Amino acid sequence: MNALPHQLWSDFVPRLLSAMVTNFEISFIALALGLLIGLPLALLRARGGALGVGVSATIISLMRAAPTFVVMFFLLNVLRDVSVFGVKLGMSGVMTVAVSLVPYSAAYAADAGVEALRQLRRGSPLGALLFLPNITRAFFVIVMSSGAAAAIGVPEGISVILGEAALLPSLGDRMIVFAIGIVMFGVPLQLGLALMRWLQRELGRRMMPV
Amino acid sequence: MIRSLARGLWFALLALLMAGAPVQAETPDAALAELLKEARSGCAQPSDRLTRILCGGQVRPGVRAYYPLFGMRDGTDYEGYEPDVARAIAQRLGVEHEFVRVNAASRIPLLAEDRVDFVIATMGHNTQRDGQVRFIRPHYYQSETVLVGPKALPIRDWQDVAARTICVTVGNGSNAELVSRKARLMLFDEAGVLPERLKDKTCTLAAQDDSFFAFYFIEPAFAATFEQKMGFAQVPWGMAVARTGSDKLARALDLLSQIFHRDGVFLEIARKHRIGTAFLENQMKVWQRPECNTADGSTNRACILPALHASLQPTQFADRVNAFEGWFEGKFGLDLTLPMLKTVPALSLFLNGVVNSLILIAGALVATLGFAILFGFALGSEWRLLRWPARLVTVVLQSSPIVLTLVIAAVLANAIVPYSSAVALAASILALGLSNGSNAGQAVSEAVVSLHHEGRHTGRELFVHALGRSATSIVSFLVNAAKGTPIASFIGAPELLSALTDITSFSSGRATTYCLLLVFYTLVVMIVVWLCNRLRAWLERSEVPA
Repeated sequence: MNALPHQLWSDFVPRLLSAMVTNFEISFIALALGLLIGLPLALLRARGGALGVGVSATIISLMRAAPTFVVMFFLLNVLRDVSVFGVKLGMSGVMTVAVSLVPYSAAYAADAGVEALRQLRRGSPLGALLFLPNITRAFFVIVMSSGAAAAIGVPEGISVILGEAALLPSLGDRMIVFAIGIVMFGVPLQLGLALMRWLQRELGRRMMPV
Repeated sequence: MIRSLARGLWFALLALLMAGAPVQAETPDAALAELLKEARSGCAQPSDRLTRILCGGQVRPGVRAYYPLFGMRDGTDYEGYEPDVARAIAQRLGVEHEFVRVNAASRIPLLAEDRVDFVIATMGHNTQRDGQVRFIRPHYYQSETVLVGPKALPIRDWQDVAARTICVTVGNGSNAELVSRKARLMLFDEAGVLPERLKDKTCTLAAQDDSFFAFYFIEPAFAATFEQKMGFAQVPWGMAVARTGSDKLARALDLLSQIFHRDGVFLEIARKHRIGTAFLENQMKVWQRPECNTADGSTNRACILPALHASLQPTQFADRVNAFEGWFEGKFGLDLTLPMLKTVPALSLFLNGVVNSLILIAGALVATLGFAILFGFALGSEWRLLRWPARLVTVVLQSSPIVLTLVIAAVLANAIVPYSSAVALAASILALGLSNGSNAGQAVSEAVVSLHHEGRHTGRELFVHALGRSATSIVSFLVNAAKGTPIASFIGAPELLSALTDITSFSSGRATTYCLLLVFYTLVVMIVVWLCNRLRAWLERSEVPA
């Protein structure tokens, strides 16, 4: 009897589920910080006058262009040695990954925020509420991107999948491990996207003139 | 006359026989005794540290305080292989010892400042350090970098190492060897975290000195799970003294080291502390050989080991780079370090990294656009046999984090062709194209469906208009593909992030390097955004009704 399925269900899957908590932790932090930075930028862009619009547009486009993976290595290697008033800015692995995702989440939140404010100005509060499904979409994109943490040794879902696969000699067994990983990441993502579509549909239905 | 001639011949023959007979060379023991006697006679005006030690009755060895098995502080005392060797030396010199705590950074400066008489502190003897201190020959130990991993992991030779991620410490001299063997490096600042990262499976393999892992292999649980896969980059460890004012002390330590090897003193102390003894067993045989067991044995090339050649070949313009760094620091007060321009291997890695990054970005953009059209066509097709498999593949690709998609692409590629940088680049382009192209293709298919409902276009014309309608989504995923290219370093694609990580693993200047990297990629992505916006404008024009 092949011992692999038993080993996967009794050891690998519980470890993967436990490690995926870190992916969600990273994503919550990244999204919260993104909203904290992105929403004021959206306000500045919508109501900040020519200078405000220019400044916020520049910051948003820079954040949009910053590759998450490179930002992560930058934070890991540069900010760790920087001190402000004698306090070292060095962050934990989880925090490093979360902060590296902030440029993306802040730019996304700013764009969605600008659109929501535009809808409000047009007198469509329900249109502005589309901000929520958009942010839900961003959250799941961040969850998927948080797997980059494996590259700097943060013990999250992807590193557990790769660690398990590395020990398996046969290609078929490794593919089973990868497939389980895709299912584990895919189910929350597809559920989240379904929730987002349902929210959009509900809001759209309410926005339709009777 | 004949008798005197015969006597002369007899003496000549005797002289010839005496000249041909083996001359008993002076032993190291005799040379040491003579040297110590001479040094003790100079107490009135001590000109060398040896005289000062002998006349003062005390020697100050510099030892490590936290290097398991080799040098550990225990309250006010020190234990381990190196403190015990230092004790044996003090005993032979007939003096007391007063240990001074040193670490990797302080051991050479403390010698120069005359705060220690000699150091015996896990210091590898390389050609760079030869200019800073006087190393004692023969060496008292030899370490090598070992690759440690789970017993279940089959690693036989360097071919099995290619494309694998290996956890290492920044600045380890053996990192360059791992890079040249196409391994990916995960960098850590402290060696102490490596065993923990192996245990929690964050690291599948870790590379570090065998002397470091020796302590962990004493733990039954660690030894039951992990093993040494292979060793490389052997480096001899040497005691060292200051380059000035220590000639006699150095000579005494040379002679003592010869005697300790010959008589098995080093070996006995090593066994007591349960460290690897293969090198010491071999050295005992060497120093028992008649040609080595002489007063001049420590200078005999047939007996001693060479220093590790550690310096990398500098570039032709390395001096100008150094001058520029100095000028920049003086002008702006900022510490700018450009290691990628100073040595030939680093420059080669850097230039290849830039070229490969540009190839990767161009490839990822073309692949994304190609897959967007393919998926858009398949997902928008009226044939279920084409539409449903395409939908399944899209859902799978959307559900797989990009890092995982990259790894799967690399594993499949390596199953077909042997690992190489080109294969890693191709697999990355394919994975990035598939991942982003499937999402963009979904947007194209949605545009196809909406245009189909509107009933204004059919066939090829409908598809071209659908591309125009979904231009914003296509562009957004093209930008995403360009931004995602550095992730290819995860599977060993030799792009710029990978190249600079490798360079910083064996040189300094991490801050400058990663700042430049961030600027490079941000600029490249901004150029891609500009180009994509032009593509969007062109695509959208195709959607505007004539």
